[in-house]
Amino acid sequence: MKKVILVADDSPTIRKFVSFALAMKGYEILSASDGMQALEMLPSEKIDLVITDLNMPNVDGFELIKTIRSNEEFKDIPIIILSSLTSKDDIELGMEIGANSYLVKPFDSKRMLYEVSKYLN
Amino acid sequence: MKQAINMSHLFEKLKDLKALFVYGEKLIPIIQSLVDFMKDTVPLLENINHSIADSTSKIPKASHQLNNVTSATELATTEILDLVDAVTKEVRGVEKSLKAFINSEEEKAKLFESLSPYIQGNPEALKIYEEIKLKVTAPQEINPLYESFTKIKDYAYNITLSLQVQDITAQQLAAVNHLIESVQDRLSGLISDLEINEVREFGNLSMPVPEGVTFDPNARYDKSDQNQQNVDEIIKAQSETTTQDEIDKLFS
Repeated sequence: MKKVILVADDSPTIRKFVSFALAMKGYEILSASDGMQALEMLPSEKIDLVITDLNMPNVDGFELIKTIRSNEEFKDIPIIILSSLTSKDDIELGMEIGANSYLVKPFDSKRMLYEVSKYLN
Repeated sequence: MKQAINMSHLFEKLKDLKALFVYGEKLIPIIQSLVDFMKDTVPLLENINHSIADSTSKIPKASHQLNNVTSATELATTEILDLVDAVTKEVRGVEKSLKAFINSEEEKAKLFESLSPYIQGNPEALKIYEEIKLKVTAPQEINPLYESFTKIKDYAYNITLSLQVQDITAQQLAAVNHLIESVQDRLSGLISDLEINEVREFGNLSMPVPEGVTFDPNARYDKSDQNQQNVDEIIKAQSETTTQDEIDKLFS
Protein backbone atom coordinates (compact mmCIF):
# COMPACT_ATOMS: atom_id res chain seq x y z
CA MET A 1 0.00 0.00 0.00
CA LYS A 2 1.34 3.41 -0.99
CA LYS A 3 2.36 5.80 1.74
CA VAL A 4 0.42 9.07 1.57
CA ILE A 5 2.17 12.43 1.93
CA LEU A 6 0.27 15.69 2.38
CA VAL A 7 2.06 18.72 0.94
CA ALA A 8 0.86 22.12 2.20
CA ASP A 9 2.29 25.08 0.29
CA ASP A 10 0.69 28.15 -1.26
CA SER A 11 3.09 27.98 -4.21
CA PRO A 12 1.71 25.68 -6.94
CA THR A 13 5.20 25.23 -8.35
CA ILE A 14 6.58 23.99 -5.03
CA ARG A 15 3.64 21.57 -4.71
CA LYS A 16 4.50 20.36 -8.18
CA PHE A 17 8.24 20.00 -7.39
CA VAL A 18 7.55 17.99 -4.27
CA SER A 19 5.05 15.78 -6.10
CA PHE A 20 7.56 15.36 -8.92
CA ALA A 21 10.30 14.27 -6.53
CA LEU A 22 8.21 11.97 -4.33
CA ALA A 23 5.73 10.42 -6.77
CA MET A 24 8.74 9.05 -8.65
CA LYS A 25 9.59 7.01 -5.55
CA GLY A 26 6.12 5.55 -5.29
CA TYR A 27 4.55 7.84 -2.69
CA GLU A 28 1.02 9.13 -3.11
CA ILE A 29 0.89 12.89 -2.89
CA LEU A 30 -2.01 15.06 -1.71
CA SER A 31 -1.77 18.83 -2.03
CA ALA A 32 -3.16 21.69 0.03
CA SER A 33 -2.74 25.37 -0.85
CA ASP A 34 -2.70 26.51 2.79
CA GLY A 35 -2.81 25.26 6.36
CA MET A 36 -6.58 25.44 6.57
CA GLN A 37 -7.06 23.20 3.56
CA ALA A 38 -4.47 20.81 4.99
CA LEU A 39 -6.37 20.62 8.29
CA GLU A 40 -9.60 19.93 6.40
CA MET A 41 -7.93 17.09 4.52
CA LEU A 42 -6.37 15.41 7.54
CA PRO A 43 -9.48 13.65 8.91
CA SER A 44 -10.71 12.46 5.53
CA GLU A 45 -7.44 10.95 4.30
CA LYS A 46 -5.00 8.51 5.83
CA ILE A 47 -1.92 10.74 5.95
CA ASP A 48 1.46 9.17 6.74
CA LEU A 49 3.58 12.33 6.60
CA VAL A 50 3.10 16.08 6.23
CA ILE A 51 5.42 18.45 4.37
CA THR A 52 4.54 22.06 5.09
CA ASP A 53 5.61 25.57 4.19
CA LEU A 54 5.60 28.17 7.00
CA ASN A 55 4.45 31.31 5.18
CA MET A 56 0.92 30.50 4.08
CA PRO A 57 -2.37 32.42 4.02
CA ASN A 58 -5.30 31.64 6.36
CA VAL A 59 -3.54 29.10 8.58
CA ASP A 60 0.26 29.28 8.42
CA GLY A 61 2.68 26.41 8.88
CA PHE A 62 3.34 27.11 12.56
CA GLU A 63 -0.38 26.93 13.34
CA LEU A 64 -0.77 23.82 11.23
CA ILE A 65 2.00 22.04 13.15
CA LYS A 66 0.62 23.16 16.53
CA THR A 67 -2.87 21.95 15.60
CA ILE A 68 -1.61 18.57 14.38
CA ARG A 69 0.50 18.07 17.51
CA SER A 70 -2.39 18.96 19.79
CA ASN A 71 -4.75 16.49 18.13
CA GLU A 72 -4.74 13.03 19.69
CA GLU A 73 -5.49 11.34 16.37
CA PHE A 74 -2.78 13.03 14.30
CA LYS A 75 -0.11 13.99 16.86
CA ASP A 76 2.29 11.26 15.76
CA ILE A 77 2.35 12.11 12.05
CA PRO A 78 5.91 13.08 11.06
CA ILE A 79 6.14 16.69 9.86
CA ILE A 80 8.81 18.15 7.60
CA ILE A 81 9.02 21.93 7.26
CA LEU A 82 9.91 23.16 3.77
CA SER A 83 10.49 26.90 3.92
CA SER A 84 12.59 29.76 2.64
CA LEU A 85 12.73 31.18 6.17
CA THR A 86 16.26 30.69 7.44
CA SER A 87 16.38 32.77 10.61
CA LYS A 88 17.43 31.00 13.79
CA ASP A 89 14.17 32.01 15.51
CA ASP A 90 11.97 30.50 12.81
CA ILE A 91 13.98 27.27 12.69
CA GLU A 92 14.03 26.87 16.47
CA LEU A 93 10.34 27.70 16.79
CA GLY A 94 9.43 25.25 14.02
CA MET A 95 11.33 22.46 15.72
CA GLU A 96 10.09 23.38 19.19
CA ILE A 97 6.44 23.18 18.23
CA GLY A 98 6.93 19.70 16.87
CA ALA A 99 8.41 19.51 13.37
CA ASN A 100 10.66 16.51 12.79
CA SER A 101 12.85 18.03 10.05
CA TYR A 102 13.48 21.41 8.48
CA LEU A 103 14.36 21.78 4.80
CA VAL A 104 15.30 25.05 3.12
CA LYS A 105 14.05 26.24 -0.27
CA PRO A 106 15.34 25.81 -2.90
CA PHE A 107 15.46 22.23 -1.72
CA ASP A 108 17.50 19.29 -2.86
CA SER A 109 15.04 16.54 -3.71
CA LYS A 110 17.59 13.87 -2.76
CA ARG A 111 17.75 15.32 0.75
CA MET A 112 13.97 15.46 0.83
CA LEU A 113 13.74 11.80 -0.19
CA TYR A 114 16.22 10.96 2.53
CA GLU A 115 14.16 12.80 5.18
CA VAL A 116 10.90 11.24 3.98
CA SER A 117 12.35 7.74 3.93
CA LYS A 118 13.67 8.29 7.47
CA TYR A 119 10.09 8.47 8.75
CA LEU A 120 8.25 6.25 6.32
CA ASN A 121 10.54 3.29 5.73
CA MET B 1 -0.74 127.95 20.72
CA LYS B 2 -3.01 124.95 20.44
CA GLN B 3 -3.17 125.42 16.65
CA ALA B 4 0.66 125.36 16.47
CA ILE B 5 0.73 122.07 18.39
CA ASN B 6 -1.86 120.59 16.07
CA MET B 7 0.07 121.69 13.01
CA SER B 8 3.26 120.24 14.44
CA HIS B 9 1.41 116.99 15.07
CA LEU B 10 0.06 117.01 11.52
CA PHE B 11 3.54 117.57 10.09
CA GLU B 12 4.84 114.67 12.14
CA LYS B 13 2.09 112.46 10.76
CA LEU B 14 2.84 113.60 7.23
CA LYS B 15 6.49 112.79 7.85
CA ASP B 16 5.50 109.34 8.96
CA LEU B 17 3.32 108.99 5.88
CA LYS B 18 6.19 110.12 3.70
CA ALA B 19 8.46 107.61 5.39
CA LEU B 20 5.84 104.97 4.73
CA PHE B 21 5.73 105.90 1.05
CA VAL B 22 9.51 105.85 0.88
CA TYR B 23 9.52 102.44 2.57
CA GLY B 24 6.70 101.31 0.25
CA GLU B 25 8.74 102.41 -2.75
CA LYS B 26 11.62 100.31 -1.47
CA LEU B 27 9.27 97.42 -0.77
CA ILE B 28 7.58 97.41 -4.19
CA PRO B 29 10.47 95.74 -6.04
CA ILE B 30 10.68 93.10 -3.34
CA ILE B 31 6.93 92.44 -3.58
CA GLN B 32 7.27 92.42 -7.36
CA SER B 33 10.02 89.82 -7.18
CA LEU B 34 7.88 87.81 -4.75
CA VAL B 35 4.98 87.91 -7.20
CA ASP B 36 7.32 86.91 -10.01
CA PHE B 37 8.63 84.09 -7.85
CA MET B 38 5.07 82.91 -7.13
CA LYS B 39 4.27 83.10 -10.83
CA ASP B 40 7.22 80.85 -11.53
CA THR B 41 6.57 78.53 -8.59
CA VAL B 42 2.86 77.87 -9.04
CA PRO B 43 3.24 76.07 -12.40
CA LEU B 44 6.15 74.16 -10.90
CA LEU B 45 4.01 73.07 -7.93
CA GLU B 46 1.19 72.15 -10.25
CA ASN B 47 3.66 70.15 -12.25
CA ILE B 48 4.82 68.35 -9.12
CA ASN B 49 1.22 67.64 -8.14
CA HIS B 50 0.47 66.27 -11.58
CA SER B 51 3.59 64.12 -11.40
CA ILE B 52 2.56 62.72 -8.02
CA ALA B 53 -0.95 62.06 -9.26
CA ASP B 54 0.39 60.50 -12.44
CA SER B 55 2.82 58.29 -10.52
CA THR B 56 0.09 57.27 -8.09
CA SER B 57 -2.24 56.36 -10.91
CA LYS B 58 0.46 54.19 -12.48
CA ILE B 59 1.28 52.26 -9.30
CA PRO B 60 -1.76 49.92 -9.43
CA LYS B 61 -0.89 49.11 -13.04
CA ALA B 62 2.74 48.35 -12.09
CA SER B 63 1.55 46.16 -9.25
CA HIS B 64 -0.92 44.39 -11.53
CA GLN B 65 1.86 43.78 -14.05
CA LEU B 66 4.06 42.27 -11.34
CA ASN B 67 1.22 39.93 -10.40
CA ASN B 68 0.86 39.00 -14.06
CA VAL B 69 4.56 38.21 -14.26
CA THR B 70 4.24 35.91 -11.24
CA SER B 71 1.22 34.14 -12.73
CA ALA B 72 2.90 33.76 -16.12
CA THR B 73 6.14 32.37 -14.71
CA GLU B 74 4.15 30.06 -12.44
CA LEU B 75 2.25 28.69 -15.42
CA ALA B 76 5.39 28.37 -17.55
CA THR B 77 7.26 26.62 -14.73
CA THR B 78 4.43 24.15 -14.24
CA GLU B 79 4.41 23.43 -17.97
CA ILE B 80 8.18 22.90 -18.03
CA LEU B 81 7.93 20.60 -15.02
CA ASP B 82 5.23 18.57 -16.76
CA LEU B 83 7.51 18.25 -19.78
CA VAL B 84 10.50 17.26 -17.65
CA ASP B 85 8.26 14.73 -15.91
CA ALA B 86 7.19 13.34 -19.29
CA VAL B 87 10.81 13.16 -20.53
CA THR B 88 11.90 11.37 -17.35
CA LYS B 89 9.07 8.86 -17.67
CA GLU B 90 9.96 8.23 -21.32
CA VAL B 91 13.62 7.69 -20.43
CA ARG B 92 12.63 5.24 -17.72
CA GLY B 93 10.41 3.43 -20.23
CA VAL B 94 13.21 3.18 -22.77
CA GLU B 95 15.62 2.06 -20.05
CA LYS B 96 13.20 -0.72 -19.07
CA SER B 97 12.77 -1.83 -22.69
CA LEU B 98 16.52 -1.78 -23.16
CA LYS B 99 17.03 -3.94 -20.12
CA ALA B 100 14.49 -6.44 -21.46
CA PHE B 101 16.26 -6.38 -24.82
CA ILE B 102 19.67 -7.04 -23.21
CA ASN B 103 18.23 -9.95 -21.23
CA SER B 104 16.77 -11.37 -24.41
CA GLU B 105 20.09 -10.97 -26.24
CA GLU B 106 21.94 -12.67 -23.39
CA GLU B 107 19.45 -15.55 -23.54
CA LYS B 108 20.00 -15.75 -27.29
CA ALA B 109 23.79 -15.77 -26.85
CA LYS B 110 23.59 -18.59 -24.32
CA LEU B 111 21.36 -20.68 -26.59
CA PHE B 112 23.64 -19.94 -29.44
CA GLU B 113 26.72 -21.03 -27.50
CA SER B 114 24.99 -24.31 -26.68
CA LEU B 115 24.72 -24.96 -30.41
CA SER B 116 28.50 -24.84 -30.90
CA PRO B 117 29.40 -28.49 -29.99
CA TYR B 118 26.85 -29.83 -32.47
CA ILE B 119 28.23 -28.09 -35.50
CA GLN B 120 31.93 -28.83 -35.02
CA GLY B 121 33.16 -30.68 -38.11
CA ASN B 122 30.66 -28.94 -40.37
CA PRO B 123 32.61 -26.06 -41.95
CA GLU B 124 29.55 -24.61 -43.69
CA ALA B 125 27.55 -24.54 -40.44
CA LEU B 126 30.53 -23.16 -38.52
CA LYS B 127 30.87 -20.30 -41.02
CA ILE B 128 27.19 -19.36 -40.60
CA TYR B 129 27.56 -19.79 -36.82
CA GLU B 130 30.43 -17.28 -36.74
CA GLU B 131 28.48 -14.82 -38.90
CA ILE B 132 25.43 -14.98 -36.61
CA LYS B 133 27.63 -14.72 -33.52
CA LEU B 134 28.93 -11.37 -34.75
CA LYS B 135 25.36 -10.09 -35.07
CA VAL B 136 24.31 -10.91 -31.52
CA THR B 137 24.40 -7.66 -29.52
CA ALA B 138 26.82 -7.76 -26.65
CA PRO B 139 25.85 -5.98 -23.37
CA GLN B 140 29.00 -3.83 -23.51
CA GLU B 141 27.68 -2.25 -26.71
CA ILE B 142 24.56 -1.11 -24.85
CA ASN B 143 26.27 0.23 -21.71
CA PRO B 144 27.09 3.67 -23.20
CA LEU B 145 23.35 4.10 -23.78
CA TYR B 146 22.72 3.46 -20.09
CA GLU B 147 25.26 6.14 -19.24
CA SER B 148 23.46 8.56 -21.54
CA PHE B 149 20.15 7.81 -19.87
CA THR B 150 21.67 8.45 -16.45
CA LYS B 151 22.98 11.78 -17.74
CA ILE B 152 19.55 12.71 -19.13
CA LYS B 153 17.95 11.91 -15.77
CA ASP B 154 20.59 14.01 -13.98
CA TYR B 155 19.93 16.92 -16.35
CA ALA B 156 16.19 16.58 -15.72
CA TYR B 157 16.83 16.60 -11.99
CA ASN B 158 18.97 19.74 -12.29
CA ILE B 159 16.27 21.42 -14.37
CA THR B 160 13.73 20.83 -11.60
CA LEU B 161 16.18 22.19 -9.03
CA SER B 162 16.81 25.33 -11.11
CA LEU B 163 13.09 25.86 -11.69
CA GLN B 164 12.62 26.47 -7.99
CA VAL B 165 13.92 29.94 -8.79
CA GLN B 166 10.31 30.71 -9.77
CA ASP B 167 9.08 30.26 -6.21
CA ILE B 168 11.86 32.46 -4.85
CA THR B 169 11.31 35.24 -7.42
CA ALA B 170 7.56 35.06 -6.79
CA GLN B 171 8.24 35.80 -3.12
CA GLN B 172 10.62 38.62 -4.03
CA LEU B 173 8.03 40.13 -6.40
CA ALA B 174 5.39 39.88 -3.68
CA ALA B 175 7.77 41.77 -1.37
CA VAL B 176 8.25 44.47 -4.05
CA ASN B 177 4.48 44.68 -4.43
CA HIS B 178 4.15 45.19 -0.72
CA LEU B 179 6.66 48.06 -0.89
CA ILE B 180 4.78 49.59 -3.83
CA GLU B 181 1.59 49.40 -1.78
CA SER B 182 3.28 51.35 1.03
CA VAL B 183 4.51 54.01 -1.42
CA GLN B 184 1.03 54.29 -2.90
CA ASP B 185 -0.50 54.77 0.54
CA ARG B 186 1.96 57.57 1.28
CA LEU B 187 1.35 59.26 -2.06
CA SER B 188 -2.42 59.00 -1.66
CA GLY B 189 -2.08 60.63 1.77
CA LEU B 190 0.07 63.40 0.30
CA ILE B 191 -2.44 64.04 -2.46
CA SER B 192 -5.28 64.29 0.05
CA ASP B 193 -3.25 66.79 2.07
CA LEU B 194 -2.60 68.94 -0.98
CA GLU B 195 -6.38 69.37 -1.49
CA ILE B 196 -6.12 70.16 -5.14
CA ASN B 197 -9.30 69.04 -6.81
CA GLU B 198 -7.87 67.84 -10.06
CA VAL B 199 -5.28 65.82 -8.19
CA ARG B 200 -7.53 64.67 -5.39
CA GLU B 201 -9.53 62.53 -7.77
CA PHE B 202 -6.61 60.10 -7.82
CA GLY B 203 -6.58 59.93 -4.04
CA ASN B 204 -8.75 56.85 -3.62
CA LEU B 205 -7.02 54.57 -6.06
CA SER B 206 -7.10 50.99 -4.99
CA MET B 207 -4.32 48.61 -5.88
CA PRO B 208 -4.96 45.01 -6.88
CA VAL B 209 -2.77 43.27 -4.34
CA PRO B 210 -4.06 39.69 -4.41
CA GLU B 211 -5.64 38.42 -1.25
CA GLY B 212 -3.92 35.81 0.83
CA VAL B 213 -0.45 36.40 -0.60
CA THR B 214 2.33 35.52 1.78
CA PHE B 215 6.00 35.99 1.14
CA ASP B 216 9.42 35.98 2.64
CA PRO B 217 11.13 39.28 1.67
CA ASN B 218 14.52 37.69 2.37
CA ALA B 219 13.97 34.68 0.10
CA ARG B 220 17.09 34.07 -1.95
CA TYR B 221 17.78 31.67 -4.79
CA ASP B 222 20.84 29.89 -3.48
CA LYS B 223 21.52 26.48 -4.93
CA SER B 224 24.48 25.88 -2.65
CA ASP B 225 24.01 23.63 0.35
CA GLN B 226 25.07 26.40 2.74
CA ASN B 227 21.57 27.39 3.90
CA GLN B 228 20.61 23.79 4.64
CA GLN B 229 23.90 23.27 6.49
CA ASN B 230 23.18 26.33 8.65
CA VAL B 231 19.71 24.96 9.45
CA ASP B 232 21.16 21.56 10.31
CA GLU B 233 23.67 23.21 12.65
CA ILE B 234 20.95 25.25 14.40
CA ILE B 235 18.82 22.13 14.87
CA LYS B 236 21.81 20.17 16.12
CA ALA B 237 22.73 22.92 18.61
CA GLN B 238 19.09 23.16 19.70
CA SER B 239 18.78 19.42 20.29
CA GLU B 240 22.07 19.41 22.25
CA THR B 241 20.80 22.28 24.39
CA THR B 242 17.55 20.46 24.98
CA THR B 243 19.39 17.32 26.00
CA GLN B 244 21.58 19.29 28.44
CA ASP B 245 18.47 20.99 29.84
CA GLU B 246 16.81 17.65 30.31
CA ILE B 247 19.90 16.27 32.09
CA ASP B 248 20.08 19.33 34.35
CA LYS B 249 16.39 18.99 35.13
CA LEU B 250 16.83 15.34 35.94
CA PHE B 251 19.61 15.97 38.44
CA SER B 252 18.27 19.17 39.99
